[in-house]
Amino acid sequence: MILNNIELTNFRLHINTVLNFSDKLNYIVGGNGQGKTTILEAIYYLCTTKNLNQSPDSEALTFNESYFELTGKFKDLTEEKSRLVYSVETNKKTCFINEKQFYKASLIIGKFPVVTLTQSDHSITFGSPADRRKFIDSVISQSSETYLKILLDYNKTLRQRSSLLSLLKESREKSLFDEFDAWTETLIKTGAEIVKHRINFLNEFSEYVKNSFVKIMEGSESPEIEYYFLGDNKTDKVEENFRREIKNRRNDELIRATNLVGPHRDDFVFKISGFELRKYGSQGQHKTFQIALRFGEFFFLKDVLGKTPVFLMDDIFGELDTYRSQKISGYLREVGQAFITMTDFNNIESLHISEKDKIIKVEKGAVAYA
Amino acid sequence: MNIIEPLQIAIEELSKLPTIGRKTAQRLALYILKSDKDSVANLIKAVTDLKEKIKFCSVCFNLSVDDTCEVCKSPKRDKSIICVVEEASDVIAIESTNEYKGLYHVLGGVLSPLSGKGVESLKIAELVLRVNEPDVKEIVLALNPDTEGETTSLYLTRRLKPLNKRITRLPTGLPLGGDLEFTDHATVGRAILNRIEL
Ligand SMILES: [Zn+2]
Repeated sequence: MILNNIELTNFRLHINTVLNFSDKLNYIVGGNGQGKTTILEAIYYLCTTKNLNQSPDSEALTFNESYFELTGKFKDLTEEKSRLVYSVETNKKTCFINEKQFYKASLIIGKFPVVTLTQSDHSITFGSPADRRKFIDSVISQSSETYLKILLDYNKTLRQRSSLLSLLKESREKSLFDEFDAWTETLIKTGAEIVKHRINFLNEFSEYVKNSFVKIMEGSESPEIEYYFLGDNKTDKVEENFRREIKNRRNDELIRATNLVGPHRDDFVFKISGFELRKYGSQGQHKTFQIALRFGEFFFLKDVLGKTPVFLMDDIFGELDTYRSQKISGYLREVGQAFITMTDFNNIESLHISEKDKIIKVEKGAVAYA
Repeated sequence: MNIIEPLQIAIEELSKLPTIGRKTAQRLALYILKSDKDSVANLIKAVTDLKEKIKFCSVCFNLSVDDTCEVCKSPKRDKSIICVVEEASDVIAIESTNEYKGLYHVLGGVLSPLSGKGVESLKIAELVLRVNEPDVKEIVLALNPDTEGETTSLYLTRRLKPLNKRITRLPTGLPLGGDLEFTDHATVGRAILNRIEL
């Protein structure tokens, strides 16, 4: 899928911006606060109907305006138009695909797949297990609606069960325990489905990450993603292990009134050549890993969906040495079309720019092709 | 805004109804205002009768005009089967198929600790008593296939198992006569994962 053109109206600094893109690399260059990331933000909105930084829609509005509007023209097999209008008065977005309004945000999933590589990816390797689960879940959900549905069911079961655990703290009636056992059974069933999905996904996804890693960093280093559920990484024992562990922890759960066992407590361990990244990794290794995860996501989704995702890269080159910058800009050729923001031109000279690429300068919300 | 009070009150009350927004409520209120006295009286009577004439069946908790409902009273119904549903609206759904000849039991909801629904607030004890009757041979669990419905079915199965009656449930998954290609992906995906041996 190629994004040919976008139009932004009253979107942050962009009062009215029209951009035609290259189907190769698009470098968007500008100082801080000039509105270059805003262009990625607009693209992200058009692909997902959501804000890239999960901030409220009203924040993306130009000061003193009553609405913003975004339009994007994609080319897949045919032209596909995505349009989104936000109005202050109703504090609501209306979204259209090919001028047909749709009401459920989930309907756009898989239609315009998008992969982002930003500074906040920092948290995937440095952050908490929750940050890693969020990343893994988002990749699986983009490739499987079934997984997304099971995940929502599982989260609801957790809330129901935890509410029951609070009740059990106050009253230890027999009937409440029977009810508790029923919720435990539902938790095991949906939870086991999640674990199995994660195991199967990681078996496949790890290969993609490995391939991307060597493209960015030549040498003998090799990345791994380790995932064990209750000490096991095979799919056939998941339910059995889950059932045993939840039985063992039953008293703990009752005392602490919390769900203590299940995939909501999973972690994924990133390793480079057998060493745990979180404990022994250098800053550079962390960065390389984050980049490999996103490129891996891109090529994984491309294969699974049979559709090339839109690739957004926000301000990544600034932090990298020349060697890796050149490696990555070379690798981006394999991605096809990508949108890359940068703060200064000095960086650009060290990259391999081709004639078909576009360099777009952004200053105070105005754009110019360089 | 300056709307005379009786009109405003009517609009407020109407807009409390499900799926009725403010604009619709206003249109309804003005329509009623313009209608003749008789039709307004009929409307009021119909609404009051809902509350005054309809109660819950003392046996199955279905909607009923008398103490026991039409289904429970009917000599044509098979008294050996009880179909357990969440709400009276589910009885209407099953009745309109004309395929079921047994009795019902309306639970009045499903287990949901988050919304304060536990075993005590559902008609579960009443169900157990009914199932204990020697005439009853089969219980059909027909709850919605969502997290709460599934958990309630699990709970009921355990609770009713010791009574040694046949327990069945409605199959879940793909809609019959539906097209695979037009079914939503999550449903097809789950059906593939839960495929059955033939
Ligand atoms: Zn009845």
